[in-house]
Amino acid sequence: MSRKDELTFTGFVIRPMSRTMRTFVRALLLGKPNTILYPYQKLDLPPRYRGKHVLDFKRCIGCSNCAQICPNDCMWMEKLEDPELGKIERPGIDLGRCLFCGLCVEICPTVALHESVEFELADRDRSGLRFGPKELRDDTYADKVAEERQMRSLPVLDMNKCTGCEKCAGECSEICIAMMPIEATGKQKPEISLPKCTSCGKCAVVCPEKAITMSNVYESYFDMPEPKFILKNCTGCAACARACPADVIYMMDMPGTEKMLKDGKKSKPKKRAVFVLEKCVGCGKCFRACKFDSIEMPGVRR
Amino acid sequence: MAEMWINMGPQHPMTHGLWNLRIKVDGETITDAEPEVGYLHRGIEKLCEDRTYTQIIPITDRLCYGSSLTWSHLYCLTVEDLMGIEVPKRAEYIRVAAIEMQRIASHLMWLAAYGADLGLMAGFIYCMRDREVFIDILQALTGSRITYNFPRIGGVAHDVPSNFDRDALRACTYMERRLKEYEEMFDRSKVFMMRNEDVGVLRRTDAMNLGVTGPPLRGSGVRYDLRKDMPYSVYPEFEFEPATHPDCDCYARYRVRMDEMWQSCRIIRQAVQKMPKGKWRILAPRNAPEGTGVGRVEDPRGEGVMYVVGDGTDKPYRLKIRSPIFVTVSAAPKMLIGYKVADVVAIMGSLDMCIGETDR
Amino acid sequence: MNLYEFCRGLIHWLVDLINNLWYWLGDVLPWWFGDFFDAVGDFAASRGHISVMAIGLEVLIIVIVALINVLNFIWIDRKLSGRIFDFYGPYYVGYRIGGWLQNLADGIKLFVKEIIVPAKADKFGFMLAPIIFVGSSFLALATIPLSPHFGVATNESGHGVSAGVIIAFAFFAIAPFSILIAGWSSNNKYTLIGGMRSAAQMMSYEIPMLLCVASVFLLAGSFSFFGVVDAQHDVWFAIPLFLGFVVFLVCLVAEIEVQPFDLPEAEAELVEGWTTEYCGMRFGLFMMTSYLRGYIGGALVTALFLGGWQGPWFIPDEIWFLIKAYAVFFVIEWARWSLPRVRVDQILDVGWKRLMPLAVLNLMIAVALKTLGWF
Repeated sequence: MSRKDELTFTGFVIRPMSRTMRTFVRALLLGKPNTILYPYQKLDLPPRYRGKHVLDFKRCIGCSNCAQICPNDCMWMEKLEDPELGKIERPGIDLGRCLFCGLCVEICPTVALHESVEFELADRDRSGLRFGPKELRDDTYADKVAEERQMRSLPVLDMNKCTGCEKCAGECSEICIAMMPIEATGKQKPEISLPKCTSCGKCAVVCPEKAITMSNVYESYFDMPEPKFILKNCTGCAACARACPADVIYMMDMPGTEKMLKDGKKSKPKKRAVFVLEKCVGCGKCFRACKFDSIEMPGVRR
Repeated sequence: MAEMWINMGPQHPMTHGLWNLRIKVDGETITDAEPEVGYLHRGIEKLCEDRTYTQIIPITDRLCYGSSLTWSHLYCLTVEDLMGIEVPKRAEYIRVAAIEMQRIASHLMWLAAYGADLGLMAGFIYCMRDREVFIDILQALTGSRITYNFPRIGGVAHDVPSNFDRDALRACTYMERRLKEYEEMFDRSKVFMMRNEDVGVLRRTDAMNLGVTGPPLRGSGVRYDLRKDMPYSVYPEFEFEPATHPDCDCYARYRVRMDEMWQSCRIIRQAVQKMPKGKWRILAPRNAPEGTGVGRVEDPRGEGVMYVVGDGTDKPYRLKIRSPIFVTVSAAPKMLIGYKVADVVAIMGSLDMCIGETDR
Repeated sequence: MNLYEFCRGLIHWLVDLINNLWYWLGDVLPWWFGDFFDAVGDFAASRGHISVMAIGLEVLIIVIVALINVLNFIWIDRKLSGRIFDFYGPYYVGYRIGGWLQNLADGIKLFVKEIIVPAKADKFGFMLAPIIFVGSSFLALATIPLSPHFGVATNESGHGVSAGVIIAFAFFAIAPFSILIAGWSSNNKYTLIGGMRSAAQMMSYEIPMLLCVASVFLLAGSFSFFGVVDAQHDVWFAIPLFLGFVVFLVCLVAEIEVQPFDLPEAEAELVEGWTTEYCGMRFGLFMMTSYLRGYIGGALVTALFLGGWQGPWFIPDEIWFLIKAYAVFFVIEWARWSLPRVRVDQILDVGWKRLMPLAVLNLMIAVALKTLGWF
């Protein structure tokens, strides 16, 4: 006897109809239906919802990481002239191509790009969906939303002030700091291993020049490519130092490279670039700026 | 009437997805069938060769948009196998909880479409309404409703929001109550049984020989569930039973999916209650070593496999995706021949076709 | 007072009013014009012409009442299905009256659509099918009185049409022809299948339906609507003939082609079934007639089984009739949204193997009741 013969006549109509009648009574007499009368009632979206992007001009350093990680090539960098910030480069988005995946938000090293809950983005032609940086700008948005990404207090080195005195390396209890010599300059600089740092702050306290400061840096879970410097080809033009958005590259004199000029004076020594790689965000601008092939950066597009 | 070939699709209002089924009918009886897929081919495997490992995750979401967490999880498992990364425990628990919720949502969407195909509009609306509960939780967790972009290589993208435990347990209780009500609408309805009993029989040996996996296989009496037989992630730590059913017809496949929803509620409860504290993501290397990686998961529709070949750079050399429905739809002729044209909808509906993953 | 007498009185008064103008013009204007207007007045006031105009007005009233009822049915259908499915029905159009104007809006939308006839379709059949379908349904409607005083083709010199119910069923049963013509002339495999299925379904459900009606005739002792309703003054026929009532309802659902018996127009397989190739208002006519047949079916059930227009004195007879017809429609709609579709061979199975024996059983019960002298 198959299953359907076990069901009696009530199975024909009574049982399913009783179910729908219960819903009917609940929707009509005992309460309201399960509908949100959009557009007169709005939806209640969680803060993590991925809608239209919002850009904070002041936090953004113009590193173009977001434009590089976009899987669909929706973003471009625009050079702008801002009254307060000067000549800057900020991203724009083509929301017609955008997947709203949120990778650009995740990779931003300074959490300058957010995704708001605005989803009503319809337009009559495609050009209305291309938002330039000025249209995305909202410098106060970051204060209104809860902080999602974790911050760590990490030491930040300012190479202009560092004298190579080794006091920070001696003070660090985790032995995170190692003094590495800088080729052809005769000086040394501390290299801080950030994964081991416990944010105790002793290195900042002990530095006589105040070259190390503890500042809040956002945690990044992306393994960004690091530039490799080839000293042979460097001409000291400082194009990389000007291009770098994160203050990573310093130009340092190489003593012993002064030339004798025709009128008997000594010329200035040649400079070389020095990289403080703890601050590097992996954007690849130095790689693109260097015309003499002295920076190698595997995995970054030209 | 002479025998004629009828095209059901590709432009058809109710075939789920874009595919063509050619059936040869003699009056009302089907004498031959030939499914044609490929109308939704988007070249995903080729797209993946030009993108870094992190950029591929939103693309794998769009393989099967009905159960997108499963596919991005599968991809992350594959790449973690290639790179040899160990994912933190908390991330694994979050992944499992989210995936089981996704499984319930996917089965509910199947049930909604199945009910609508059979003429039961009430089934469609009720199932979609209940699916909203789970989609809302996943929206609060990940930020999006269908294509989540949530698993990452090395963990998950964010931690759970503050109300996650409470919402998940509430949703499970709600779902278990609703499952009992669905039995009244579907199981106890004689008309539903008349449409589904002894329809679309797929014998046990045929199912195993044709490589069918998932609910169609378990509905034919074969007890094979990857979560139990080849466990991945943290599934060994959970207690649940794979759902099987001895009849090989559409009713058996329907029953298997309903039982799977019960089991998923159990798993979600355990995952949420046992979730350890700790990190939810670790830093994964950018460049993959040279070598290969394989991942297999139990998708709501069957067994999904991914195979990645790394070549030392940050982009994969090759990503191969094995979709369960692509194999199951080749079993369609076995299930269709001898039945009536009116049964085609019930039979193909019970296979839960999602053409996104079939055509990639 | 009869509807006919009411209309005739109204037309008479109206004609008298307008004839004042014609006769005055006839008096005022000289020679040939005056004679012309006098003749117009005489033409309008003659008895035969007043009768014709009265019948025209009567038909107009009945059609308007029917159409308003159909609009109400569609509105109830959508609101009811909305609440069953846990959402609102039509809400915004006609906001204050619950979205009733949505039907008018949809009708206007259907009017402005382009009408396309498939190239290889049989043009004559294609155009003829909606005409037959709508026409036969309205004819069936005309023969059903809402009360002893309200009906258009219900009164033959004051005693009621002596074969009223049979005529109503005869018109009701012409529809399968039009469906077959519609499906076949569209030059489309799917519509052909839909039309064939529909014809098979309707034909096989006519017989149990008419057997139940025969049992009612047996107990009532007459073929006319007035006779059947008057015979229910003690007890409604639904109670002794409960089996017949249920069988009749099931057959009615199969005749109207709603779920669970709507396989001819099953969306999942056949797109729209036999109406696939129709566009614009022709499709609108099919939809409207589908609900009109629901109304006719409800009216027939009320008249035959539920006591027609009998009820307490404080509500007029026509309103009672409509209340009962709406109640029957409510039950049909409730079943419609709760049950899946029955497969076509199972439909024929149910029709021939299960309902016909039950209808014969019902007839035997009616014979038993009659011989016992209770009716």
